[in-house]
Amino acid sequence: MKAPGGQVAVAAGVLALGAGILLGSFYLPTGGGYAQVGPGMAPRGVGAVVLVLGGFLLREALTGGFRGVDEDAEAHLPMNWTAFAWVSGGIVAYGLLVEPVGFIIASLILFVMVARSFNSRRWPLNAAVGAVLASFIFAVFNYGLGLTLPAGILKPLLP
Amino acid sequence: MEVWEQLVQGFQVALTMQNLMWCLVGCMLGTAVGVLPGVGPAVTVALLLPITTKVDASGALIMFAGIYYGAMYGGSTTSILLNTPGESATIITAMEGNQMAKRGRAGPALATSAIGSFIAGTIATIGLTFLAPLVVELGLKFGPPEYFALMVLAFTTVSAVLGQSTLRGLASLFLGLAIGLVGIDNQTGQARFAFGVPQLLDGIEVVTVAVGLFAVGETLYFASKLNQVQEKLEAIRGSIWMKAEDWKRSFWPWIRGTLIGFPFGTIPAGGAEIPTFLSYAIEKKLTKHPEQFGQGAIEGVAGPEAANNASSTGTMVPLLTLGLPTSATAAILLSAFQQYGLQPGPLLFESNSALVWGLIASFYVGNVMLLVLNLPLVGLWVKLLQIPRPQLYAGILVFATMGVYGMRQSPFDVFLLYAVGLLGLLMRRYGFPTAPVVVGMILGPLAEEQMRRSLSISQGSWSIFVTHGISAALLGITVIVLLAPFVASKLRGRKAAR
Repeated sequence: MKAPGGQVAVAAGVLALGAGILLGSFYLPTGGGYAQVGPGMAPRGVGAVVLVLGGFLLREALTGGFRGVDEDAEAHLPMNWTAFAWVSGGIVAYGLLVEPVGFIIASLILFVMVARSFNSRRWPLNAAVGAVLASFIFAVFNYGLGLTLPAGILKPLLP
Repeated sequence: MEVWEQLVQGFQVALTMQNLMWCLVGCMLGTAVGVLPGVGPAVTVALLLPITTKVDASGALIMFAGIYYGAMYGGSTTSILLNTPGESATIITAMEGNQMAKRGRAGPALATSAIGSFIAGTIATIGLTFLAPLVVELGLKFGPPEYFALMVLAFTTVSAVLGQSTLRGLASLFLGLAIGLVGIDNQTGQARFAFGVPQLLDGIEVVTVAVGLFAVGETLYFASKLNQVQEKLEAIRGSIWMKAEDWKRSFWPWIRGTLIGFPFGTIPAGGAEIPTFLSYAIEKKLTKHPEQFGQGAIEGVAGPEAANNASSTGTMVPLLTLGLPTSATAAILLSAFQQYGLQPGPLLFESNSALVWGLIASFYVGNVMLLVLNLPLVGLWVKLLQIPRPQLYAGILVFATMGVYGMRQSPFDVFLLYAVGLLGLLMRRYGFPTAPVVVGMILGPLAEEQMRRSLSISQGSWSIFVTHGISAALLGITVIVLLAPFVASKLRGRKAAR
């Protein structure tokens, strides 16, 4: 049976993480001080265990796949990359826009894009719902709790 | 008796107007997020952590706890009316309860689970009331090596016992431990794994990880994998009240479920999954109507629902008395305590006895509130299930990003949130459990502190963990827990070969 490529990649990722932590721990002192153990001790232990776990995962992946994971069932649910891209784009756009453009508009865009990823194409409705929700949160935080979410370009229009 | 005095003192705290209000808010929020798919108690408490700067400790903790056990009530409504279980602990309810709903018995199914949850929650709270002082006694005798050993045991049971695979559970746990390492070491001031990024010096916030894994990861998974899956919402037809026969058939399953669930919650094994399965198996054995099982047997709803509620209350025992969280939500509750500079554990019962007992007393109050919220008012929550999926998930993400951005007003955290969400998607896709990550990242730094304290007592000698009796015993149990499944499968293999 062919080894499932995805699982091998995941195991390799775990191995790489373990190696990275272990390597990083060598730049930290492990001994000395009043406490006898330095800040490098725990990372070294964690790194070593992650490396070992990665090894076991790799072995499982190469010998019939991860135990208890039904790869065939997964294959029946193919990744919907379009939907994935809509959600991803929404969050990344939010991160880029929240400060320059403001909380309300960034949230509105996120709302519309996530709704679109679930196949909702009622753009005006979603935009309206998103705007109402975001304005409500903005009002509660900025006028109610005294926290400041960025107003952005709407600043001149807001009280 | 001392317990009574303290409980009375606790009720004086819990029954103030203000705390009753926080309790009600918590129970309502808990029920709502329990009912709604795509968002759970862990995310909700994480997103509400910032209120700890505005609200006093008892009010906030009472509300957070209400969210925690309220979600258990709400979760059963969804599993009964919708054929997709919300979380692993309600798989059984989803099976048996949904069958009842399909046969027009949604009402009694909802009733037996709400009343069962109430009975289980109340009995478990009584258990907590009397068990907690005993565990505190024991905990006071523990030193750093014992605590370290206890945490190692909790790590193992949380990650290895639950889920389909010990290996993947441990991988998730150690991922959490690795996340917990990031930031300034609080004993020496040494920066670890911050890569010169200033935002990482403070460590990775639990809010980002919990919301990323549970809200963003789930949304990504549902959007890209389950978009096509059809859900069917069952209507509540007829009376929601149970008939005399339903009462008779539910009563003992409730009691048995409670007795199974509570101990599972209290030992640091976490998770309500195993006790629900156990309870279901027992009810199936004891019933006079075995032919109904799988077709909507009321015992199969009553028992497991009681078990999962009792175990969630049981989780409070190790959390409050020893500071050991055994589920993702309990771990976030622990970090809520930390926001106030409080560390749950035996000392908290002495230094903040009014707070702890007020919290325990609020469980009694909360369970009564939840019974009312979930039985006569169930129709209200069902309306939440009618929110269309696109707008529901869009709304969840608006709240998620707001909470994570608002925490430090930093867009960096939003990108980190997305990265954790991608990780959550990968973990879900490849069958890695996510709860151990959260437990690991919160309990990890505490375990490291105890380890380093132990080693400074022993002047660097690791033998301290085995020369102390309790610590050696706990570590011994850990080894058994880890190796038992492995050895058992080897033995079975040998038998099969013969």
